[in-house]
Amino acid sequence: RRGLAKPAGPRSVRQLREAEEAAPVFQYVGKAAKRKDRVFVWGFCYSGALGVPSFVKPDVGWKKPRRIQPTPYRLETEEKISSAACGYGFTLLSSNTMDITKVWGMGLNKDSQLGFQRSIRDRTKGYEYVLEPSPIPLPLEKPQQTRVLQVSCGRAHSLILTDSEGVFTMGNNSYGQCGRKVVEDETYSESHLIHQLKEFDSRVVQVVCGQDHSLFRTKKGAVYACGWGADGQTGLGHYNITSVPTKLRGDIAGVNIIQVSSYGDCCLAVSDEGDVFGWGNSEYLQLASVTETTQVNVPRHLPFKIGKIKEAACGGTGNIVLTEEGNVFVWGYGILGKGPNLTETAVPEMIPPSLFGWSDFNPDIRVAHVRCGLSQFAALTNRGELFVWGKNLRGCLGTGRMEDHYFPWRVTVPGEVVDVACGVDHMVSMVKSF
Amino acid sequence: PVLADHPLVRGPRFRRLKIGAGHRLDAKSSGVFVLGIGHGNKLLTDLYNCHLTKVYTVGGLFGKATDDFSDTGKLVEKTTFDHITREKLERILAVIQGTNHKALLMHSNIDMKTQEAYELAVKGLIRPMGKSPPIITAIRCLQLVLPEFQLEIHCLHETQQYLRKMVHEIGLELKSSAVCTQVRRIRDGVFTLDDALLRTQWNLQSIQNAIWDCQLKVKRELEKTL
Repeated sequence: RRGLAKPAGPRSVRQLREAEEAAPVFQYVGKAAKRKDRVFVWGFCYSGALGVPSFVKPDVGWKKPRRIQPTPYRLETEEKISSAACGYGFTLLSSNTMDITKVWGMGLNKDSQLGFQRSIRDRTKGYEYVLEPSPIPLPLEKPQQTRVLQVSCGRAHSLILTDSEGVFTMGNNSYGQCGRKVVEDETYSESHLIHQLKEFDSRVVQVVCGQDHSLFRTKKGAVYACGWGADGQTGLGHYNITSVPTKLRGDIAGVNIIQVSSYGDCCLAVSDEGDVFGWGNSEYLQLASVTETTQVNVPRHLPFKIGKIKEAACGGTGNIVLTEEGNVFVWGYGILGKGPNLTETAVPEMIPPSLFGWSDFNPDIRVAHVRCGLSQFAALTNRGELFVWGKNLRGCLGTGRMEDHYFPWRVTVPGEVVDVACGVDHMVSMVKSF
Repeated sequence: PVLADHPLVRGPRFRRLKIGAGHRLDAKSSGVFVLGIGHGNKLLTDLYNCHLTKVYTVGGLFGKATDDFSDTGKLVEKTTFDHITREKLERILAVIQGTNHKALLMHSNIDMKTQEAYELAVKGLIRPMGKSPPIITAIRCLQLVLPEFQLEIHCLHETQQYLRKMVHEIGLELKSSAVCTQVRRIRDGVFTLDDALLRTQWNLQSIQNAIWDCQLKVKRELEKTL
């Protein structure tokens, strides 16, 4: 006898519906799924500052080393990175953890700005270039209790801020920027010396590195400086080197400063009342609103009538501030962000919010943070979008194009950007995944 | 009332009509569909070259994925969707808007280094004036009641299948899956739902009235752009 099965034929609507209901349901992510924290890097690769060894030394013989990473590339890290800083060819990443390794460094290490990285091949020598995020050993008294709050990098030195053991400095000290006495003919490469600074009037809450000087901001609102002062960037009233952190006076004396910023030879400080003070190099009209001289060695109040200022950032030749209303103002020299015609201005000019995505359709987009590299600017909106503009030196803007951008341009990052650190030719961003 | 004027004597008023269609609308969608009659076909090409945005209301359903991205297709996968919140959806929409805004600037073929490019970008008037892939200029969530949701999309050079694919991709980004249930065009350049004629109004008198009302708007728009 023939089998009792019916031939297949086209399925009726009822059969389709039953098949649909019987299909299994997949669950990719549950209700309590957490957003992961990621780190993205982009820019010039040969110095090793991006932390991906295969860019400089490919694993396969036929691949060529990558000179520039033009778009954001994900960097795998073991811990959640809470603070990052880009120096001149090197990067520091730090985490808020209580484990023994809290800080990782990669890139140039010719002046031991990443501490002593013991070479595997020869145990007495150290590495000059670090291609992968390598832990930096810190001489902590309580390594399992102290937390690293913030890191900052300058041209050839770095500062690490902890919550209970002061500030650790390492790297080049030829101008006293590490806070210790200058030793003649000291060789800085392969040095084990990490100096610890503890004598401030109160706890240090922010450290900032300029090109060859360091700034410390304490909880009481005072600012200390040390390092090279030939452009007045130490703000101590003279143009000499300072090797011990000294308190700044001038217009800042008695004012509660809530933020300090510097990257090149000019410095800006923001007070809790929304005033901005500046000192240092003014060759590019950064401080031309108060003085005609090109070097200012005492902090001066900058009388701008643009509203209460929330955050300021200093670049090599240009400065940027963010006001309470969420407006962004730029001044100085270079590509400022208002088209190719505006190359220098002494008075702050506002960048229209429509360039950051504000429109009648999205009226509540606001710029939340501003950052500066040497000749680049970066702005983060409250929706987690990153806008960059300025000179695109070796692909550091991360837009995928090698040309300079004269007005804010979006960087496509797969995630919500929480923080960004700008360097000379590379940038690092901390991103939360969707 | 002359006997020679009577339609049964004279014959129908219009025997042949040249009708041209504006932007395409496929069988599964609904909404405003622009047609040109006779001499109006010349205005159609001008309107096409204006590159104005079209506004769609797209309805979607979470939890299913089909092969042609709509709810009448063959089922591919079923997923859970209870982890989706309005906040997550808005974040994804913000990212879509961001990448599409960048594509808008790139395809507009204006040299980014000039001052005019900066001024146009500030005013928001940069748009591609030639052939380009589909670009979404604005996207917004109108309502989210799990499992269904509604979006309003402003776009250029798109097809309805692209919008359905976009709904599917939003579902994938939210780590679930989505199908598109409804695509409705509410605006096509200058023509909105109020100007559109319903199926019951497809007779000579209302067509003539509609053409008369829209003539002024179309002329003004063409003068503004060209």
